[in-house]
Amino acid sequence: MRSPVTGMVTLLGLLLVVIVGYMSLFTVQQTEQTIVLQFGRPVDVVTDPGLHFKAPWNSVINIDKRILDLENPSQEAIASDQKRLVVDAFARYRIKDALRFYQSIGSIQAANIQLTTLLNAALRRVLGEVTFINVVRDDREKLMQRIRDQLDREAGGYGIQVVDVRIRRADLPEQNSQAVYQRMKTEREREAAEFRAEGGQKAQEIRSKADREATVIEAEARSQAEQTRGVGDAERNRLFAEAYGKDADFFAFYRSMTAYETGLKSSDTRFLLRPDSDFFRFFGNPSGRMPVAAPAKP
Amino acid sequence: MPWKNQGGGPWGSGPKGPWGTGPQPVGPRPPDLEDLLRRSQDRLQQIMPGGYFSGIGITLIILLIIAFWLLSGFFRVQSEELGVVLRFGKHVRTVQPGLNYHLPYPIETVLLPKALRVSTISIGMTLIDDPARRGRSIRDVPEESLMLTGDENIVDVDFTVLWRIKPDGVGDFLFNIQNPEGTVKAVAESAMREVIGRSQIQPILTGARNVTEQGVQELIQKTLDSYGAGIVISQVQMQKVDPPAQVIDAFRDVQAARANLEQLQNEAQTYANQVVPQARGRAAQILQAAEGYREQTVAEAKGQSSRFLKVYEEYKKAPDVTRERIYLETMERVLGGADKLVYDGGPSGQGVVPYLPLGELTAKRPPTTGQQSSGGTR
Repeated sequence: MRSPVTGMVTLLGLLLVVIVGYMSLFTVQQTEQTIVLQFGRPVDVVTDPGLHFKAPWNSVINIDKRILDLENPSQEAIASDQKRLVVDAFARYRIKDALRFYQSIGSIQAANIQLTTLLNAALRRVLGEVTFINVVRDDREKLMQRIRDQLDREAGGYGIQVVDVRIRRADLPEQNSQAVYQRMKTEREREAAEFRAEGGQKAQEIRSKADREATVIEAEARSQAEQTRGVGDAERNRLFAEAYGKDADFFAFYRSMTAYETGLKSSDTRFLLRPDSDFFRFFGNPSGRMPVAAPAKP
Repeated sequence: MPWKNQGGGPWGSGPKGPWGTGPQPVGPRPPDLEDLLRRSQDRLQQIMPGGYFSGIGITLIILLIIAFWLLSGFFRVQSEELGVVLRFGKHVRTVQPGLNYHLPYPIETVLLPKALRVSTISIGMTLIDDPARRGRSIRDVPEESLMLTGDENIVDVDFTVLWRIKPDGVGDFLFNIQNPEGTVKAVAESAMREVIGRSQIQPILTGARNVTEQGVQELIQKTLDSYGAGIVISQVQMQKVDPPAQVIDAFRDVQAARANLEQLQNEAQTYANQVVPQARGRAAQILQAAEGYREQTVAEAKGQSSRFLKVYEEYKKAPDVTRERIYLETMERVLGGADKLVYDGGPSGQGVVPYLPLGELTAKRPPTTGQQSSGGTR
């Protein structure tokens, strides 16, 4: 059986080993990098996560190594064509050189303040060189890269690497937006008026085309009708000529008789006749006078 | 023994670990060994002086404590989660849903992000709880949704981004990026504005939805990949694409005008469809009339000529007699119905003039009164 004193000493020794052991160990999280300081003087930077050893008297500082947010409230900038635009950008950065970062800035909060200033300056500088439409439409991506590169260069001194700068909003200020709305409205009104006028025009075209077609159809029909009539008349003439040509003399007589009958038959014709006309040949003379000419004039 | 109920290890009420509660990768607290040692020391002191326990008892207790400590390494991963095991802060393995084991705290800890869930981010609108409708309703956020187009117009775009953690990117998601959700949102908004800024307003409003969604999705994905965010964008859905409220009436009027155009055209077409067939009808009428005239004329001529020919046939057989007969018959008919006056006034008809009632003759000219007057002169 050991004496209680030996037991206590063993226990104390064990405790000391545990404490010293604990003090010479430190963990580096997956999301962090750690600076090891010896009485304030940096001696090592550990980026590899896991369990690491240090001298028991050294202290450690953990610094984030993830991609960090930098949100920048919207700013008014002036493009090279003097148009004002409201720009809202954000940046993503990471701490590349933990030691330099720790020495020059110290904390992420301070870094955010510093980077905001730099970002705004870069933003204004780059956007001031191009036109409004470059920002909105043509060169957005290129401009964002330029801003990123400038910011990265400037922030490099703080051990910061700027991963990305993106312009989120690039809008017109409120008053200009109103002007845009007004313009959009008038453009639509013009468009609507054009559509309506075009409708009237097309309708007119269709109507007049139909009218023309109708006129042409009728005229063609009339022309064809005249031809048909002509054919009929020609046939009639042919038939008559064929029939009457057989005996011109008899035709003259026959036709005259028909004409007298149809032309003089009506009851409102009155005749003044001479008794010596051919019609009265037998009137007072049953043997008849000699006819002067067979078809006498009445 | 309060620590038994904790299931968290023999160190009493200390937290299970800063990671145990969720996927928030908060910086870990250094394991509070000093405190633990002090407490076990206290316990030993409480036990020792009593002398109730022999060395075997103490060993038993220590063994029990070790057993509980080892048992505390079991953990459950829910079906939508993945288990990310960290050994002293270093990512060593990822485990699938089910019952798993890690070396007990403080050696290994586990993170349980909901890595298989699809998350939704809405931009241009927020979903708010609406107790009146017992559900969530949409409220517009104009400062997010109003965007400039390439032709300097403004559109109001609301859209939703569906994203989840990449199957093999859970480590990237947890450890590479500080604010994944905020980053997805910021990048999505920026990408949408970039794509809209390159387009004209008309296609955005009408046909180019798919193209825009596709473009935005690719741009977000590309940007997030450049961050190593471990996120995959599964879909970008454009919800509402409208002209801004201030000008929407004008846009509607354009639609109405377009309808007017078609209406006018249709009306004119109706007219045309009416007029042309009518003209065709009239044309047919004219042609038929002409055809009728032709046939009538020919038929009449045929009739007349054949009548003449028939008479002529007879005439040829006895010309003089026939001629005389025709003459007389005709005269009979002609003179039969007419007023006659036989007057023998000398060879040249002189002296007849004073007897002629010329006034009556002229008065008889109008055909309307012809019949009555002729009766009077008899």
